[in-house]
Amino acid sequence: MTESSAAAAHPAPVGGVSVDDRGVHVAVQGTGPLVLSVEGRYVWSLTPERDGTPEAGGWLVRWPHVLDRFLDGVGRITVSDVAGETVYFDAEVPLGSGEGALEIVDGDGNPLSVDKVGHLTRSFAATDEGIRAEILEGTQRALRDLRETCGVEAYLNYGALLGAIRDGAMIAHDSDTDVCYLSKHETPADIILESYKIERTMRDLGWNLLRMSGGDIKLLLPLSDGRSCHIDIFVAFYVRGTFYQLGNRSGQVAREVILPVSQIELHGYTFPAPAQPEAMLAFLYGPSWRVPDPSFKYADPRAGVRRLDGWLRGFRTTMGGWTEFWTSAASDEVSRRSSTFGRWVQKQLAAGSSVMDVGSGNGRDAVYLARRGHRVWAVDFSRGAVRLTGRRARRHEVDVRAEQLILGELRQVLTFGARLARDPHHIAARQLLGAIDAQAREQFWRMCSMALREDRKLFLEFFATGPEGSGVPAPAPHGLQRRVDPDQVAAEIRASGGVIEHLEVGPGDDLFDQPDPCVCRIRASWPAPKGDPA
Amino acid sequence: MSGRDKIRSSVEKWRAERASGRTVRARLAALEDEVQELRQLNRRIAELTDVVAELLVPIQDRDKEKVQEVLARYRARI
Repeated sequence: MTESSAAAAHPAPVGGVSVDDRGVHVAVQGTGPLVLSVEGRYVWSLTPERDGTPEAGGWLVRWPHVLDRFLDGVGRITVSDVAGETVYFDAEVPLGSGEGALEIVDGDGNPLSVDKVGHLTRSFAATDEGIRAEILEGTQRALRDLRETCGVEAYLNYGALLGAIRDGAMIAHDSDTDVCYLSKHETPADIILESYKIERTMRDLGWNLLRMSGGDIKLLLPLSDGRSCHIDIFVAFYVRGTFYQLGNRSGQVAREVILPVSQIELHGYTFPAPAQPEAMLAFLYGPSWRVPDPSFKYADPRAGVRRLDGWLRGFRTTMGGWTEFWTSAASDEVSRRSSTFGRWVQKQLAAGSSVMDVGSGNGRDAVYLARRGHRVWAVDFSRGAVRLTGRRARRHEVDVRAEQLILGELRQVLTFGARLARDPHHIAARQLLGAIDAQAREQFWRMCSMALREDRKLFLEFFATGPEGSGVPAPAPHGLQRRVDPDQVAAEIRASGGVIEHLEVGPGDDLFDQPDPCVCRIRASWPAPKGDPA
Repeated sequence: MSGRDKIRSSVEKWRAERASGRTVRARLAALEDEVQELRQLNRRIAELTDVVAELLVPIQDRDKEKVQEVLARYRARI
């Protein structure tokens, strides 16, 4: 199956499918998975019965939201079966204003498609041979580093393995490569520790990476065309006889299916693979794994997902949404001028103070305080926000140290706390509490208690819950911010050894400087416990 | 107690249990939440072990006296 197969041959459409602003209307039954292409390029795959809602005797499958911003203009849209042999629809379609060309491309003009988990991505079909070679060589290097330097039983898996076994080639619509390793450990805490060690070793070997959970990291492989390819490194392990493999797979897989690893070839490159690749593919994709289905979705056992969530996840639940926000056009609406909170903090600082801005966002207050002569350290869990803050500081030629801090990760909180204990700063946090979960909040108080020595203060502003029945609206951005009860916050601060010096609730501003009826400001300090030499 | 009284008594008991959150379903939901909380300790243990294993040794190498003083103080207060 190739990208061009659906559109190049162009058999006459058999009908039964139409496309408009709402989505794809399918009036025929039993089509199986369908492939939608724009100007002959793969964009999206759908299975009407699974993804659609019943309408007029057929199905309406709505456009995925990630495509919303592209759906304006005229373009030739083709809907066919996976093999491209049966074309159901093939016509010029005006979408949105109907003006200009319908283009689903990134900022550099590279075609984009929707991947299995609903994200926008560049697919291998839109990737030239030279780039594909870089991706395969990079994946080979990752596997070698894991096996030889980290000393784990790593193997190629998922889409790349499927492509290799089924076609001897990358699957047309896959965008990343996935690598797994079978851990020797059977206790989740040990499995996480092993993943931390692998992370350190891979960083030492020069890899740029992100931690996605206690058991998987994402390598960012830079490509010569300026993009980066993601190589996911997933742990696989057994607990009490059940096999688990990240993403979310769990079930019965014999050890002999994986070890000793075999060798497979993909576009002439050799990779370590499970001992019985067919058995692994049947576990991953079901008994019909040999039949191409780009719209395939996993049916993971609920109990297994729940266990994996409990053991390995939970420290970055709100991070993804915020990174998406700070890297999207929506964040352009956030003012670059200092906030009223920033000015409130500034008034209370002695000249030349050291301040840490936690949750710095676009850096508006960090840069404002630096321009007022303070020494500023800005942190945010979103790498997008860290970049914005750094860029803004450079533009204004002020010195702001901008770093990522994930408050959900205790390791980071403890090490930042230790650094702050040696180099005391005030801490200012605007709209932080409503953007993190309860565990991250608890760890934030821990960092404050380690860091705020001598006369250092915590300055807080957050959206407060209103009096019962007052019906205060949910704060913006919707789904990313929530209100927190000031009494609960005050109680948590006191429980961690802090003293509330000032607490007020009243009208204030939201992220976009629009009025909000219920904003809480707190100033707190953490006096040294009696008998404890600071 | 007549059959009708027994039924009435059972219904009242069930209502009281439901109101107090003691039904099997409510207890099961609470149990699932508690098990999940325990699972989450795995990551906390791993993080603490990692910090200790990675930081304690280098600290020990660099300033033995100071570290021993900190450790002694720590031990004395637990």
